[in-house]
Amino acid sequence: MSAPQEAPEPEREPEPSLATAGLTKSFGGVTALDSATVAFHHGKVNALIGPNGSGKTTFFNCVTGMIRPDAGRVTYRGRDLTGSPPHRIARAGVGRSFQLCRVFPRMTVLENLLAAVRPGSLAGQLARAGGRAETERARGWLTRMGIEHLERAEARQLSWGQQKLLELAGVLMSEPELILLDEPAGGVNPALIDRICDLVRELNAEGRTFLIVEHNMDMVMSLSDHVVVFDRGRPIAQGPPSVIQSDERVLGAYLGV
Amino acid sequence: MRRGSELPSRTHGLLHLGALLAAVAVALSFPSMAPSPYEITVGIAILNYAVLSTSWNFVGGFTGYISLGHGAFAGLGAYGTGLLTAKAELPPFVALFVAAALVAVLAVPVGYAALRVRGASFVIVSIALVLIMLLVFQSWASLTGGSRGLVVPRPFPGMLRAEHHRTFYFLFLALLATALLSWWVIDRSRFGMGLKAIREDEDKAQSLGTPTYTYKLVVFVVSAAFTALAGGLYALWFGDLDPVFQFSILSGAYMVLMALLGGVRHLYGPLLGAVAVGYALEYAKVEYGDTPLHLVVAGLLLFVVVMFMPDGVIPAAGALLARFRRTGETSIREVTAAELRGRREQDDGTEVRGSERTTRGA
Amino acid sequence: MPSLSLVFQSVVLGVLLGGLYALLAAGLTLYFGVMRVVMIAHSAFLILAAYLAWYAHRETGIDPLLTLVVTVPLFFAAGVAIQRLLLTRLRPATLTMMSVLLTFSVALVIEGLLGYAFSGTQRRIRLGYSSASIEFFGARVAVVKLIAFGMAALALLGLYVLMKHSRFGQALRATIQHREAAQLLGIDTDRIAGYGFGLGLATAAVGGTALSLDTTIYPSLHWHWIGPLMAIIVVGGLGSVPGAAIAAMTLGMLQSLLQLELSTTWAQTVFYVALFATLAVRPQGFFGGRLAQRF
Repeated sequence: MSAPQEAPEPEREPEPSLATAGLTKSFGGVTALDSATVAFHHGKVNALIGPNGSGKTTFFNCVTGMIRPDAGRVTYRGRDLTGSPPHRIARAGVGRSFQLCRVFPRMTVLENLLAAVRPGSLAGQLARAGGRAETERARGWLTRMGIEHLERAEARQLSWGQQKLLELAGVLMSEPELILLDEPAGGVNPALIDRICDLVRELNAEGRTFLIVEHNMDMVMSLSDHVVVFDRGRPIAQGPPSVIQSDERVLGAYLGV
Repeated sequence: MRRGSELPSRTHGLLHLGALLAAVAVALSFPSMAPSPYEITVGIAILNYAVLSTSWNFVGGFTGYISLGHGAFAGLGAYGTGLLTAKAELPPFVALFVAAALVAVLAVPVGYAALRVRGASFVIVSIALVLIMLLVFQSWASLTGGSRGLVVPRPFPGMLRAEHHRTFYFLFLALLATALLSWWVIDRSRFGMGLKAIREDEDKAQSLGTPTYTYKLVVFVVSAAFTALAGGLYALWFGDLDPVFQFSILSGAYMVLMALLGGVRHLYGPLLGAVAVGYALEYAKVEYGDTPLHLVVAGLLLFVVVMFMPDGVIPAAGALLARFRRTGETSIREVTAAELRGRREQDDGTEVRGSERTTRGA
Repeated sequence: MPSLSLVFQSVVLGVLLGGLYALLAAGLTLYFGVMRVVMIAHSAFLILAAYLAWYAHRETGIDPLLTLVVTVPLFFAAGVAIQRLLLTRLRPATLTMMSVLLTFSVALVIEGLLGYAFSGTQRRIRLGYSSASIEFFGARVAVVKLIAFGMAALALLGLYVLMKHSRFGQALRATIQHREAAQLLGIDTDRIAGYGFGLGLATAAVGGTALSLDTTIYPSLHWHWIGPLMAIIVVGGLGSVPGAAIAAMTLGMLQSLLQLELSTTWAQTVFYVALFATLAVRPQGFFGGRLAQRF
């Protein structure tokens, strides 16, 4: 099931991928992010966990530009992205999925992928959507997700699980280096969870970095190289899964001690 | 399923081409078949509506942003053309294009204010635009003639009335063809794909790298320019402008109604809507004169469309046709019972997620 | 330069006008708060209430203020009905846009029916106290304007007390701020939204009656109201009732002061200037919370 692994990396300081410094955001009187300083590792599968309301989704929304942080900085591989609009961040190589999976409901499956193509020039903008090369690329991703037979169906006609796969295919079509997945296992049956895990492993082996927010601890612990735990809007622990699993603070945060 | 009807695409294309050619033939021969110049003026009025609602549909159809203020762009195009001809003494058709270009330039700051945030503010700005323009053009009587009106010099002074109407019929037809062609080019382009993604889910489109704000602004300006061209051509044809009619919130509402009735996702939707509503309007004007009841009828029609067929008659008719044609559903594609069940659940699910999207602040 | 007493007179008139704007804008922003709906027909209902007051006065000679007894409950019920029967049937994904068209169509129907029933003629109520005025620190103020302001102020105060100090008001504010959270707290947000809509429309009943006292009315008058009111709620921050009230007072005052130097029509453009300036500089409005940011 697993794709051929790259040569094992020598032990060295991990290269930073997405990183934040002092990221703060409050809504009215509620502080969702409280000066969060955190760095994720390039080329790895990173996970972000924490109890409900600990600021994970706000963190996602801040680093992808969907909402503006009140204070703090966001960098991706050393490049400052603070306050950039979402499409700039996407073009910097950061793709994301949404917590309640979002596809373009009244476009066909194929169009959902074609909409993620980003032409550069004016001529490219006015060129016909769905040229041979990009259609082939889109079909490639659909085949990989196992939903190529649904190419002409409207996205809203797909099952929940199929929509999840479609969303992932769309994100991949936009050629990100770093992929942020917001609860990829949410509302998904166990067979599909396994499938998504395999896909993440394969795509990671091909060089893509992942940052996953997830409540399914089995999935997090088996999949990730690096885990960051949030509580009340800031990281309280980070490290490899084995260390996190035995961390007292993490247990405390989850049990509400 | 839209593409479930498995006509071979070649036959489909030929059918489409045939229908198009027939429609063009009818449109071209209409002036010579019309019994009197009056019928031609009705044809012009309908063509004018068709250009206006097709122009409106650049914004409404692609991005899903509903503008109730496009009447302002038509009025500005009309007054711009009229003033440039009457006061600056530009040749009429030069004035027409200069006016449209000026309106396009003006649409940039308007779009800047209106499109930065989502939905509601856009609607508010669009309505405000008509109301401001009405105030300005009524108050600034020294330039615009105020409510006394503005007389636009005739572009073809030597021409007889019937010939004048005939000429403008073809000018409007050419403008409609240009607008439809532009819409079609955008519709099949990557730019159009990005715009439609905005209509479907703007956050999602942006997270995939589409510069949504720029896209919206560009198509807004294109739409304003076409609307202004229609308004300017109307000014040259009709020859007399009054702010109350040019900057009427109702004319913007008609554009919406026509486009919505025909179907905003379709190239010919606004045209179809314009033929139906425009003909009804002209008919009512002759039969019943100007009564307040046409407001009631327009309101009720809009109400029915919004409540019962928000996608317009084309998809509604398509669904009806499909129901007749669908004798053996399972033969279309292999669909398992589980999949069908999933879909049905999915349909409910779409509604739920939609509500979360609109109400979720962050 | 106008004299000081003229300026003072304008300020007083500005406050009186601002009060009415504040009440009506509070209603308009309330709809937006509970349903994310821009209720275009708000001002059409305003004019409808004014016509009902005028008609009742013409037919029976009763004081127009008495019509409130009928119009307020009637409009409240109509508001609840519009929310429950119409708006909830629209697709949630396109609710904001489609509800605009829906309420727009309602406005057209009301305008058309008023024109049909009462013709386009301008109407005005003549009362025994119509021409009375009182001196107020050197400013002359018509009594009917004071009454109109008093009604608006009372209604606004009532709305404030209701929203701040009743259980219903708490539920309403919770629904406006965070619908899902309100649902988790066991609030029936659909019902609350219906009542919120009813309250909004009730402000139109009060406002319309107040308007009928000192204004000439005609069926298409509502377009002159909806523009300024929409500008006010954007400036105040969509969904924020206090924001709407503050913006209404400020802009009403500005309009009144500008009338000293400019014609009435040019002075009205102040609303639109404020609207564009707000959207260009601070799209979420000046008093709006996080709710306004994405609209």
